[in-house]
Amino acid sequence: MSETETTGESSHVEAVLMDDDMVDAVKKKLGVGFWIAVGWLGLLVATAVLAPFLPFDDPDKLASGPARTGPSLDNWFGTDALGRDVFARTVYGARVSLVVGFIAIVFGMVVGGSLGMIAGYFRGRVDQLISFLFFTLLSFPGLILALLITSTFDRTLRTVSLTLGVLAVAPVGRLARAATLVFAEREFVQAARVIGARHFRILTRELLPVVLIPMAALALLGMGVAIVAEGGLAFLQLSVEDISWGVIINDGRGIRDLQENPHVALMPIGVMFLTILALNFAGDRVREYFDVRETAF
Amino acid sequence: MAEASAANTQLLVRDLTVRFPTTRGTVQALNGVTFDLARGASLGIVGESGSGKSVTAKTLMNLLPRTAEVSGDVIFEGEDVRRLAREGREHFWGVKMTMVFQDPMTSLNPVKKCGEQIAETLRYHLKRDKKTALAEAEDLLAQVGIPEPGKRVDQYPHELSGGLRQRVVIAMALACEPSLLIADEPTTAVDVTVQKHLLDLLDKLREDRGMSMILITHDLGVARGRCDEIAVMYAGRLVERSAPETLFSDSRHPYTDALLRSIPRIDQPSHTRLEPIPGRPPELINPPEQCAYAPRCRFAQPDCLESIPDISGVAGMHEFACFHPANTDRGREALAGNLAQGRTAAGLEISGAGASS
Amino acid sequence: MKQFILRRVAQLALVFFSVTFLTFASLNLVGDPLFNIVGVISGIPDEQCEAVERGEMEDTQSSGLNLGDCALIAQAKAQNNLDKNVVERYGIWLSDMMRGDFGTSFVNGDEISDIVKERLPVTIRLIVLAQTVALGIAIPWGVASAYRANRGFDKASTIGSFGLLSIPNFALGVILLYFFTLRWQIFPSRYENDGWWSELKALTLPAFTLGLGLAATYQRLLRTDLITTLQDDFIHMARAKGMSDRHIMYRHALRPSMFSVITVFGVNTGALIGGALVVEQIFSIPGVGTELVEAVLRNDPPVVISLISVVAIGFVLINFFVDLMYGYLDPRVRTS
Repeated sequence: MSETETTGESSHVEAVLMDDDMVDAVKKKLGVGFWIAVGWLGLLVATAVLAPFLPFDDPDKLASGPARTGPSLDNWFGTDALGRDVFARTVYGARVSLVVGFIAIVFGMVVGGSLGMIAGYFRGRVDQLISFLFFTLLSFPGLILALLITSTFDRTLRTVSLTLGVLAVAPVGRLARAATLVFAEREFVQAARVIGARHFRILTRELLPVVLIPMAALALLGMGVAIVAEGGLAFLQLSVEDISWGVIINDGRGIRDLQENPHVALMPIGVMFLTILALNFAGDRVREYFDVRETAF
Repeated sequence: MAEASAANTQLLVRDLTVRFPTTRGTVQALNGVTFDLARGASLGIVGESGSGKSVTAKTLMNLLPRTAEVSGDVIFEGEDVRRLAREGREHFWGVKMTMVFQDPMTSLNPVKKCGEQIAETLRYHLKRDKKTALAEAEDLLAQVGIPEPGKRVDQYPHELSGGLRQRVVIAMALACEPSLLIADEPTTAVDVTVQKHLLDLLDKLREDRGMSMILITHDLGVARGRCDEIAVMYAGRLVERSAPETLFSDSRHPYTDALLRSIPRIDQPSHTRLEPIPGRPPELINPPEQCAYAPRCRFAQPDCLESIPDISGVAGMHEFACFHPANTDRGREALAGNLAQGRTAAGLEISGAGASS
Repeated sequence: MKQFILRRVAQLALVFFSVTFLTFASLNLVGDPLFNIVGVISGIPDEQCEAVERGEMEDTQSSGLNLGDCALIAQAKAQNNLDKNVVERYGIWLSDMMRGDFGTSFVNGDEISDIVKERLPVTIRLIVLAQTVALGIAIPWGVASAYRANRGFDKASTIGSFGLLSIPNFALGVILLYFFTLRWQIFPSRYENDGWWSELKALTLPAFTLGLGLAATYQRLLRTDLITTLQDDFIHMARAKGMSDRHIMYRHALRPSMFSVITVFGVNTGALIGGALVVEQIFSIPGVGTELVEAVLRNDPPVVISLISVVAIGFVLINFFVDLMYGYLDPRVRTS
């Protein structure tokens, strides 16, 4: 039937084989795909950061070319209904989308990571309280919580980023808690306790470095989730009052726009897809490389 | 004898060979296994794990992974079993030939009621309606000696003890009145106190139904009183085959001999020292062209390391695959020579202890 | 089992209060609640309204309602019990809501319970359809890839599901809309509801938009669990019983392999609710999402918090029932 099925006899044989296979497994590699993904992300970040110094059009400049034209040499991604250059807008949109994704995940890592580690390290009451906080946060459908916050406050880049950061707190926190629970039992932490190291020192010097590894994998995946969530907010017209990928795609998704010049929406969608794919792929590789089992995002 | 049994032969296995290609090489799981089974008879297949006894059962039951390379013939009641497998014949396995597995804790589906699982077989193969099938299931549970069968039908496997579960498994296997039952270590995973009950039950059911049985076990003692014939396997080969009495009193293959010495026997004075078999089971990937048992064998001679002995002897009476069989002059001579040197031809160091034969 | 349910109920209650309080707090603790409810007219000084009451002044009308500003303020104060303290207000608000009394919008005067009654069923149908699409695709897909794990089909599936997981649902929605509605004109471009057939047609693309990514998630989980289950002895036993592969995959292996899928089923319903907001926008579906967005944009907090509470409570309840599902899936949970 399925080749994953093994008979008792052959699994015995496989058990014999395992020893050598294990040796090979240690020499795991991140793989070419990982470096392609990182390359794409690097190119994207570089372009976004250097955008003002590169010979791109002003993303808000009207009639940068004739309106509603398809991709051409002058306008790589074509122009939108107002004649704005879609490529320039996509590049500038990357600035906002990446910043939102980055701040969100950093906030999630700092707040969620600290809470999770404290919960996993001290356990008991503290753990119960923090775990319940995470549970409650997760009991809110993410985008609804974001909508609640942005509608209550304002729609600046800061608010939107931090809102999405709040969404990242619980998933990151749960992972940090689980990892801390495991590592706190290990010899090196026990040894530090025995020699009388203070809690803060153990948490920052002993536990943080090891807990950071699984969190790094989650951070890559989480950044993708945050970028997508920002796009979702943009579709609800509740994201930043600036150019982000979500805003550009939302601008180009009207029936008439989509019918006459679909590239306005489809080009940034393509760039966004590649970026999320790269983040997911890189995160997945990192997770496999370090053999992290739990993913809570 | 051989002539008479031919007409009565239910299962004919000829030169059965199974290989598993793996990343590290080809696993020679089964090599030229040949045996017959008469209608209503019982055959015990004995060997340690990795000897190929379970692979034999799984080949018969068409349970091997797809990657397995099989050659040889398996003829059951005149039908070519391997062809049936290729053609995807339905209502053959589970109906004419079934199997009971080692661990009753894991061989029942945890999310289905016991009755349902038995009834399922009846509904699937014999197209019984749900009600009839459940009634028959209850009846089968009674037949395998489960108390309060009416209640058990509605229970989940985790609510039953290991012994009861194995009875459920047996009931399930018997549902379609098979003519051959393969029992793969049916008592290994259950409590020692229930082992005998289960074996007696299997014996009784076999006799009542005129069913034949292949009993796979690593325990020669289990096979002894219950089988008409015992086949000993080692490293994917049949190494000795005979009636139990002959095997116990006059074993030929040094491996059988060693097995007998490693289990307590009633006919020996108590406190007789048991001898473990030295060394480890052989590697099945690219094995050298030599007797697979030679590295562990007290009798090993230079010729054992040069070629593989074929199984030979009087078919249906006593066959074995050894150049220097135990309990023969050749064997005694070989052993004496090895003892004198303190080591065998394969380099195994041996001492005088237990050299009584 | 009983204890398990009791513990879950207690947890459910705690979460329920936290979630509703958080929503309530956004209206009542951040800034001036009166301003949050009625907007700029909350700036009208009390003396002015007292004067109106005494008949010394005329009540102006700045809202679209047939009420004067002072009447509106009075009504908002009464409806939201602004003279009471926050905790009391929360209690009253919660118990009113439990009885289906959500109050009225202070922008257009609509009864919020009517809005909920009208909009919620559409969104629920969309979400149910999306989950149906997701499971309908994921189960056969997962079974097929686990059946021949690591072969061609399975490897292609891995790439396919990875790709699907990387498309944001709004992007997928735009793409589906572009091809299926605009270019090939297979599905209607506007939501219509003349009977179930027209609604089904209108909800098909949105459901696929939401369901495809979810299908990929479920497929990955189901595949992994199935591969584990297929190694179990009872699968060998079922094969020894002579069952066909198909029968074994669907009748024996599937149910014990659904745990991970069921676990994320509940969590994903949350993502679906969020996704539904966005997808309703793209396909102009008159569900809770479009109303919620409109309410936010027209600055109508009573409507916003009512809708959010309804959605959040629904989500909490779904997750509760998902937990109970374990008992059905695995009888061992029931007794332990």
